[in-house]
Amino acid sequence: MEKAQKNSFVMRFLVSSFIGMLLFSIIVFSLLGIYMGQNSKHSVYEIGDIYMSGMNEQMSRHFETVLKLHFDQVAGVVAVVPADNHDKESLYRELIYRTQVRGFDYAALCSAQGDFETLYGNPIRPINPGPFLEALLHGKQHVAVGVDSTGKEVVLFSVDAAYPMRNGGNSASLVAAVPLNYITDFLLLEDENLLMYPHIIRPDGSFVIQNPNAELPQFFQQLQRPAENTLPENSSMELFRTAVKNREECSTMFVEDGTPWQIYGIALPYSEWYLISVMPYNILDDIINNLSNEYLLITLFSCAAVLIILSCIFFRYFSITRSQMSELDKARKEAQGANKAKSEFLANMSHDIRTPMNAIVGMTAIATAHIDDRQQVQNCLKKITLSSKHLLRLINDVLDMSKIESGKLSLRIEQVSLREVVEGIVSIMQPQIKAKKQSFDVHVENILTENVWCDGVRLNQVLLNLLSNATKYTQETGSIQLSLFEEESPKGENYIRVCIWVKDNGIGMTPEFLEKIYDSYSRMDKDRVYKTEGSGLGMAITKYIVDAMEGSIDVRSEIDKGTEFILTFDFEKATTKEEDMVLPPWNMLIVDDDELLCATTISTLKSIGINAEWTLDGESAVEMVNQRRQSGEDYQIILLDWKLPNTNGIQLAKEIRENLGDEVPILLISAYDWSDLEEEAQEAGINGFIGKPLFKSTLYHALHQYAGVDAEEDQAQGVDVDLSGRRILLAEDNELNWEIANELLSDLGLQVDWAEDGQICLDKFQSSPENYYDAILMDIRMPNMTGYEATTAIRQLTRSDALSTPIIAMSADAFADDIRRCSECGMNDHVAKPIDIVELTRLLKQYLA
Amino acid sequence: MTLKDCYTSLGGNFDEVLGRLRREQTVQKFIYKFLDDKSYSLFETSMANQDYDEALRAVHTIKGICQNLSFTKLYEISNAITQVLKEGDYNKAAEMAPQLAKDYSQTIHAIGEYKRSQEA
Repeated sequence: MEKAQKNSFVMRFLVSSFIGMLLFSIIVFSLLGIYMGQNSKHSVYEIGDIYMSGMNEQMSRHFETVLKLHFDQVAGVVAVVPADNHDKESLYRELIYRTQVRGFDYAALCSAQGDFETLYGNPIRPINPGPFLEALLHGKQHVAVGVDSTGKEVVLFSVDAAYPMRNGGNSASLVAAVPLNYITDFLLLEDENLLMYPHIIRPDGSFVIQNPNAELPQFFQQLQRPAENTLPENSSMELFRTAVKNREECSTMFVEDGTPWQIYGIALPYSEWYLISVMPYNILDDIINNLSNEYLLITLFSCAAVLIILSCIFFRYFSITRSQMSELDKARKEAQGANKAKSEFLANMSHDIRTPMNAIVGMTAIATAHIDDRQQVQNCLKKITLSSKHLLRLINDVLDMSKIESGKLSLRIEQVSLREVVEGIVSIMQPQIKAKKQSFDVHVENILTENVWCDGVRLNQVLLNLLSNATKYTQETGSIQLSLFEEESPKGENYIRVCIWVKDNGIGMTPEFLEKIYDSYSRMDKDRVYKTEGSGLGMAITKYIVDAMEGSIDVRSEIDKGTEFILTFDFEKATTKEEDMVLPPWNMLIVDDDELLCATTISTLKSIGINAEWTLDGESAVEMVNQRRQSGEDYQIILLDWKLPNTNGIQLAKEIRENLGDEVPILLISAYDWSDLEEEAQEAGINGFIGKPLFKSTLYHALHQYAGVDAEEDQAQGVDVDLSGRRILLAEDNELNWEIANELLSDLGLQVDWAEDGQICLDKFQSSPENYYDAILMDIRMPNMTGYEATTAIRQLTRSDALSTPIIAMSADAFADDIRRCSECGMNDHVAKPIDIVELTRLLKQYLA
Repeated sequence: MTLKDCYTSLGGNFDEVLGRLRREQTVQKFIYKFLDDKSYSLFETSMANQDYDEALRAVHTIKGICQNLSFTKLYEISNAITQVLKEGDYNKAAEMAPQLAKDYSQTIHAIGEYKRSQEA
């Protein structure tokens, strides 16, 4: 609840700050855009001003140049035509010719009074003769506009010239004219693309040339009207009027019909005229508006881009934070779960521990009360033993788990016989399985390498755990299977892959439970298995050990169908030479209801050199035996499974014996304990028993004795012969102990050298030729140098036999720690004191073989 | 006095030693040698000098000999002292030393008796 509130508060804060940021950026960027627009408007106006002034000046200069050119041309005419030609007509002809050549349309002589005497062209009248005449009189060069008889406007140029006139007297000037458009061309009146429109006016405001594109009637009317008092002195109109009068440059703004106009004026030379350029602001405004729109658009775009990037970053950050939060939440939940599991485990454990403890306490009390009743006391002790064992198992589990959790569980890799491991497990499991009347099958398939390097104790623990779970969770009369087979290991030639299957048809597990099967303290749901006791650590420990052995464990399970565990290990092959197991090429018969077992056993037997046949039931077995008998090729050995369809091995043995007599050995194979059956079996004529699993060596050793006298002898004797003459270096500080050992070892034919302490032992070994000593027996506690130190030193020598010479520890200290230390120093084995000659002989035989 | 009587009087296990050494002559040879063994005197001097490491080694040797010769009684006390010395409890070892002395002299005495009876 609180969390939800917190969440919604965070969300609100995030959303509102996001929106706030959005608005803020939009406003800031808009203001920026508007400000920029304003600024650019000013700049554009200024630029417009400069442009207009420049253009006007240029036009004015152009005007000046054009006029000056024409004046010069007229002056040129005057200069080349002398005035003192008395022949008036030829003078006129000369003038006309010269003027026409220079492109003038018209020429006339003008008297001081302003009378025109036309030399050629249409007669012309000046439109505004006042200033023209005034300039004429003052000898200034001046232009004027005139109109000819056809109404065509022309520009008049007059240059001082005193030529005789027709009416007598002398002229004041020579006047020539060109059409008006000659000089107005430069005004580019027709160009509509121009931003500005020029006009030329007289000082009174009347037009010389009016631009048709921008008429501005109000402005010019006002300009033509005399000064009005209503207008303020410094109004733009007044300023402009004054400027025109004074022939100054002037720039002003005028609003007509709601459109603002920029107006620029400049006086033109050679005349009283004034050039006025007007430019409608709306053109500029259009540009400016376009510009500011673009500005606005760009700023908005950049604003959007910045916002998008910011939001991307923001949302990414938000999601990262969120996932971190959820991970934290998950971790917290896991921690809580683990905590809960531990509390549950403690609750379970205290219950589980209390149950056997109660039994022990209670039974002890009962035993005390009936101390004289021997049977009662025995009964109580039996129950106490059971409960103690159970308790011990629980505590061992907990200790193992705590070792695992603190990372202290380490493996003790040693040479292990898989056969011994499996045989051991089978014998341990048998009572439990028997008690629940379950069937137990052990399959050993093509295990060619029985001796491997691994931690036998831990491997045992794993298998025992899986098997005891299998019996625990399988109903009575259910079946349990243990299968082993060998594969090539991906680790290389020196390794083998051993696969072990443990299969039952018990109550199975739910998929949900399978997921946490290896978690500590987990147990199946209590409704179904409330009876079962255990720490709930077994599978966690199993998984850990399998992992530590670099193996793998898989499980398949189905409710009410059963469970199957598959273990896979890669073990290094042990280097000891396997005995050359070969037996004579007997014909053998195997009778077992398990087809798989028959097939694997036959292939194992084949590797020993035996040809075997098999059958699945008793009737066909009897038939096969009889057939052989008739053909005179009896089976040399017959193996019978104890459990067979409709009968059992003992029954079948009786039937076979009836026909076959006593010659052929019949052996019983079974995973069950032989002792219960022994008597009955012997009566039925069964010669021996082979316990499952059927490893190659199991079969070899069991069948070996039937191979004849030689083999038997081989088996029985051998020790003395093998060891005689071998040299042993014995390190022992006490003379008496040395003498005893010497006495005993000499009896075996061994040649024994005495080293009084570790240092002497090391020296003797060092000074001996290589491979002189076949083995070293090493006491641990010695003066000067202990057995550990001596062994370490010997193993570090640079001799070919430094590592290969077997060193066997002899010590009264037989604790597990001492034994571990021995192997850590490089000792091969350990024998306890006092010397047990049988055990020592066995070891020596093993290492000197 | 037979060898078996000797073992009974020194608190040893004759059957066990015979099982190990197989012949009475061998057993006899070694118990005579025990008379000359210096381990006990080494233990006594070491304890007196408070050289406990050496004492531990000496009593450990006695223990080993006792195991070899099946001197059960002497083995028990020497084993006990070995343990306490290993644990570093020297006072306890000193307390137990007289018992060792007693059992040792009992053993020596029994062997001496036997030897005399054989020589006689």
